[in-house]
Amino acid sequence: MPQIVTIQLNGEPFTLPRCSSVSDLLTTIASEGKTVATVLNDQIVRPENRSAARLEEGDRVEILIFAGGG
Amino acid sequence: MDSLHLGSYTFSSRLILGTGKFSSSSVMLEAIKASGTGLVTVALRRFNREQPEDDLFTPLSAIPGITLMPNTSGASTAAEAVQAARISRELSGSPFIKVEIHPNPQHLMPDPIETYEASKILAKEGFLVMPYIPADPVLAKRLEEAGCASVMPLGSAIGSGQGLATAEMLRIIIRESNIPVIVDAGLRSPSEAALAMEMGCGAVLVNSAVAVAGDPPAMAEAFAEAVAAGRKAFRAGIMQKSGMAVATSPLTAFLGPAS
Repeated sequence: MPQIVTIQLNGEPFTLPRCSSVSDLLTTIASEGKTVATVLNDQIVRPENRSAARLEEGDRVEILIFAGGG
Repeated sequence: MDSLHLGSYTFSSRLILGTGKFSSSSVMLEAIKASGTGLVTVALRRFNREQPEDDLFTPLSAIPGITLMPNTSGASTAAEAVQAARISRELSGSPFIKVEIHPNPQHLMPDPIETYEASKILAKEGFLVMPYIPADPVLAKRLEEAGCASVMPLGSAIGSGQGLATAEMLRIIIRESNIPVIVDAGLRSPSEAALAMEMGCGAVLVNSAVAVAGDPPAMAEAFAEAVAAGRKAFRAGIMQKSGMAVATSPLTAFLGPAS
């Protein structure tokens, strides 16, 4: 079994070790300290559930922030 | 105290500020502080590892008394707007949502049908729904009946600086509404904001006019003063127009004719 999985992160392919969680992904992309929303396959993953949310091959993950807008 | 009431929220300022198009976050934060606003809009966007400074939640949350109103810009359907609203609420912790659905980037005119559908769903979910709409009195009334906290008709196209091009429709909407009417989009100068408030608007939402000004914090303060003056004038009762002159000085008992 391959030791990596490929997910779609904000619409782009992204590889990470098998059994990674949404929390691990946030650490990998260095978004700690930012307030982000996480969405896994169209379902919102709340901060308290990120460690338990495991990522599988082909999962679609959106990591979102607030930017300037009118 | 004359305050703006939206749901269970009370705001002493009737100026709502957008956070787009500023030259830097620090200028934007200075402008927000100078404006005295209690409600600012933000946009939900994908996190970009190359530009992490774009995250506005952290700096905005550090300003006392600021409530966030995320918008759904980028959505072109009701379903997209509803999903953006639900995600935004997780992030903002605020029930406010500016429903903004414009399918055509050329004119950015709001889609009334998708906006109505999204607003109806979100109002039922307990959001304080603030829909950005065309200046259409019928649509405004339907949105009020659907449970929106306010309606936000456009003065003119987003970012155009064409002012209150829809003034006569706005007057009808204001006259017919039982919820605050907030002019959103198109304002260029403080005098236009004052005029909107004199007409009876509950608030104005300004972004470009402040963000692209030579001195955004000073312009934010100017808008705040204009909004306050316009509101005060509205409450004081503005005189009626007359087609004829009406003398302010007595027309009798003047000196006799010169000899």
